[in-house]
This record gives sequence, C-alpha cells and structure tokens, in this order.
Amino acid sequence: MSALSIEFAGCRYRFAGLNPEQADFVRSRFEALLCRDDARPDVQVDVHYSPNPAGFMRRPVGPVEYRAAVEHSEESIAVAGIGFTARVERAPLRAQMQTCLSDEWFLGAFENLFRVVASYRLFGEGALVLHSAAFTDGTRGFLFCGRSGAGKSTLCGLAAELELGILSDELNAVTPSDGSFELRAMPFAGDFGGAPRPHPPYPLTGLLGLSHSAAPLVHGCSKAEGVSRIVASCPYINADSLLVDELTTRAAMLVDRVPLRVLSFAKDTRFWSVLDHEYRSPDATLSR
Amino acid sequence: MSTEAPTQRYRVDSHARFRVMDDEGIFVLQDAGEVLVVNEVGAFIVEQLKAERSLDEVVTGITERYAVEAERARSDTTALLDDLLRAGAITRS
Repeated sequence: MSALSIEFAGCRYRFAGLNPEQADFVRSRFEALLCRDDARPDVQVDVHYSPNPAGFMRRPVGPVEYRAAVEHSEESIAVAGIGFTARVERAPLRAQMQTCLSDEWFLGAFENLFRVVASYRLFGEGALVLHSAAFTDGTRGFLFCGRSGAGKSTLCGLAAELELGILSDELNAVTPSDGSFELRAMPFAGDFGGAPRPHPPYPLTGLLGLSHSAAPLVHGCSKAEGVSRIVASCPYINADSLLVDELTTRAAMLVDRVPLRVLSFAKDTRFWSVLDHEYRSPDATLSR
Repeated sequence: MSTEAPTQRYRVDSHARFRVMDDEGIFVLQDAGEVLVVNEVGAFIVEQLKAERSLDEVVTGITERYAVEAERARSDTTALLDDLLRAGAITRS
C-alpha cells in the first residue's frame, strides 16, 4: 500500500492505503500536483480496498455521467457513488473511503470524493468553492458560475481560442485575501478537461453569471440575485444545514466587494472584448 | 384558484432558509441545493408569515403598505404562496 499527497489552493491532502493500481491512476492524473516531501497534510483520506463489489453501487455498462450521493449529518458527511462509499468526518476533517475499484473506474470514485473533501476543507479556510468556469488573462481572474448547461465549458473553449488561461470549467475556489478576493483553480474539470497543473492565485476581477444571447453584453443584477446565483453554485455546502447560513453570509460579503454581473454571450469570441472593456479599470470590481 | 382559508398560517419549511437582502428575499432550499429569489413584496409577505400572521392578516398588511386593492393583493399573495409551497420553501402551519 502507498500514500500520495496532493496540494492545491494552499491545502495538502494525503491519500493513504492506495494499492499499486490505484496509486498509478492517481499519480497519472494528478502528477503535477503531487507533493515530493512528507510534510504534514491538512486532510487525511484513508482508502480501504475490498475486491468484493457486493454492497457498492454497481458500475453501469458503457460510459456514464453521474453525481455522487451526499448525505449530511451533524458529525459527518456520507458520500456514495459507483463502486465506493465514504465517510467524511467534520472535525477534524478527514475521510475514510471503501471501494471495490482498482481499475480506471477508481479515478472517477477518487475524484468524486476528493471534490467533497476539498470543498469542505476550503470552506473551513474561509473559501467558497463554486461550480464554475474560470480563466485569466495573466493578471485578472474571471469566474463564471452556473449549473450544467449554463455554457461554462463552451465559454472555456472560446477563451482557449483567445489563448486565455483556463483554470477549470467545473470547480474553482474564491478565497478572501486582504479585504479582497482571489481566484484559485481546483484540479477538477468537466467537458473542457486536461491534466491538472498548479496555478497561482489571481485577483478576482470579474464575477459573473451566464446567459445566452445573439450579441455579447454584461449587465448588473440585484444583490439578492447575485447571492442566490453564488449560493446555488456552491455544491455540497449549500445542502448542508450546518453551513448554509455561513455560506449565504459569505456570498453576501463577496457580492458586496465584487458585484455579480451577468454575461450574455453567443458562441463566438466577441464576449472577450466586452469583458475586457468592462473590467479594464482597476476599480471595475467596485462598480455595478 | 387557491382555496386557502383566510385564517391559514404558514412557516418557512424546516429544510429551507430565508434571508432578506436589500429588500429582496432569498430562500435556500437545502435538500435540492437550490435558491429562490422573491421581490420586495414577496420578501414582505414571507416576513409576515414568519411573524405568524394569517393569510388575511398578510393581505391587510399589503394593502396598508402598498397602494393595491385587497382583491389584487389576495390573488397575488395566494399565487406566491402556491409557488413557495410547491417549491418546498414554506409549509402550512
């Protein structure tokens, strides 16, 4: 059995108990984020492999996209998906994973649990983890929240055509920093994939929702709508009765500092000239 | 058309949270991880429900606060309450 540590957004996660096949899959996916030293992790995840599939959700025939089931209790969060179950203890944050997977399906199970664990860890550090797309022009960070179908991956594809740096088209974190907010990439991707790699934090310049239109346009929205879009985009935490009030408070603080706007865009790269213009001023994040 | 009794009372569902922000209101529906926004009048109505006012009392409160006829206030209020009931944001007391 072996252990691997993965670090991003200032937090280190140690996965212990991996068998050689599991470790190879994790290593190949998260190679660029693996830690080379034995420093103490922020979160420990113990993986227990049992080849008997009885008691686990069966794997389907053919490719499938699914959401892991997550259930919250006062002490822990239960997570279940194809071929695995897990218990995430709240304090101190750590997790136990049981799985019958040791082939390519393991990576899906691993990432499903990792998303939950990382979301809780980062929330515990004051961050918001949003189901979102994010990119940077090298100095400014732009985050677009929205659920599946909102256009996050499409926008990332268009941003890539413009050679903007894609952080993730699935999950990104926003962390408070000296009275402002920073955008941090998370190593999970939706349709616009690619191997995770380290990213520095970027100042959160633009915080936007998405809608579709024939011509690109950025418009403001009320604070309540902004907060609602953010809360709705924070998976796991927004369904956790112990944390949802704190989540809403943080979302309101974020919107006070970086008002949420809505980008309406078509499937072409014209959106960037509008965004670039709207957020060109260093004070742009302060105005509606 | 709603047939709610004038004395009917409601409360925010135990799986929902409600908060007012800049006059508008936000419901967070925890089970679904979804969020609803209600406008200023909607936020006023929900605050009245939280104060345990009956449907009739809520309608009276609206006519006193806003320039609107009682009949219109009642139909708009019951329509909103129907929507919130369906969404699981509120329940009947």
